[in-house]
Amino acid sequence: MTSPKKPNSHPDLTCAEFQEQLPDLFAAGGNGVPEDPALLAHLKTCENCSALVRDLQYIADQASLLLQPTHEPSDNVWKKIQAEMDSERAQATQPPRNPETK
Amino acid sequence: MDVQGLQMTQTKPVPGLFKRNPPIAGEAEAIESAKAGDAEAFSRLYALHKRRVYTLCLRMLGNVSEAEDMTQEAFLHLFRKIGSFRGESAFSTWLHRLTVNLVLMHLRKKGLNLVSLEETINPSEEDAPKRDFGSRDPQLAGSVDRVALERAVASLPPGYRMVFVLHDVEGFEHNEIATMLECSTGNSKSQLHKARLKLRELLRHPEPSILADLKETAK
Repeated sequence: MTSPKKPNSHPDLTCAEFQEQLPDLFAAGGNGVPEDPALLAHLKTCENCSALVRDLQYIADQASLLLQPTHEPSDNVWKKIQAEMDSERAQATQPPRNPETK
Repeated sequence: MDVQGLQMTQTKPVPGLFKRNPPIAGEAEAIESAKAGDAEAFSRLYALHKRRVYTLCLRMLGNVSEAEDMTQEAFLHLFRKIGSFRGESAFSTWLHRLTVNLVLMHLRKKGLNLVSLEETINPSEEDAPKRDFGSRDPQLAGSVDRVALERAVASLPPGYRMVFVLHDVEGFEHNEIATMLECSTGNSKSQLHKARLKLRELLRHPEPSILADLKETAK
């Protein structure tokens, strides 16, 4: 994709250039807030990019809501697990076959 | 991928994961008893973890039947390998890593899913979320509940969804995800960013089902 370059209030950095840094900024753990002065200046002066950073951080924060599980497997799952475990236990306790008794 | 090698070998504890997965009352005793072959203790472990394991499978696979099959596989794998759990990380972390790797192996075995996973790990530019220029939509903060987010996550392309669930929901680090998905850490970071951009797009311009959830939240 060719990123359009949009003029903004910080002449040194375009929105596209700023947004290219976002994956690393978020991965660095700073909630998308950069330490680099040029990036920080852009964030402070560009309403669009600051809204983007705010939304992406909000989405990441909200994702923690999904950690608590809400779905439950059917009872059939445990029945199958139990049946398989019983079968494996029975196999494990079987005496080894004596080849001469065949 | 070698499931045994990846999630059965315990690495240095990750403090964040203990914080995310605090020990559960009665769990340690159940683990020790289950290791000794106590069937009742194993059923307690199942009761404690079935929802989280199943929810994880369901989010990764997007299919109830497959999610139930993989939940079954995960607990049978646990039954066979619980003796190798040494308590160096939270049990739930260990179990979820085991589950993630089983699901990924399952997806790789299914040729079709493997292809789609790789396609969305390296999506064409046309599929990538559009950059955000000039829009002045209201911000998302305070407007999204878990049901709407859950539906939006479910509608992500599989590769985006996988990285988002592993990182933002389950708390895995990019280097761990890169190992699990056999991609670079840069790729994992990039996929996560694209997933969040796509979610923003979906939540700001929802499909009808997501829109209904947002309206419900606003009431």
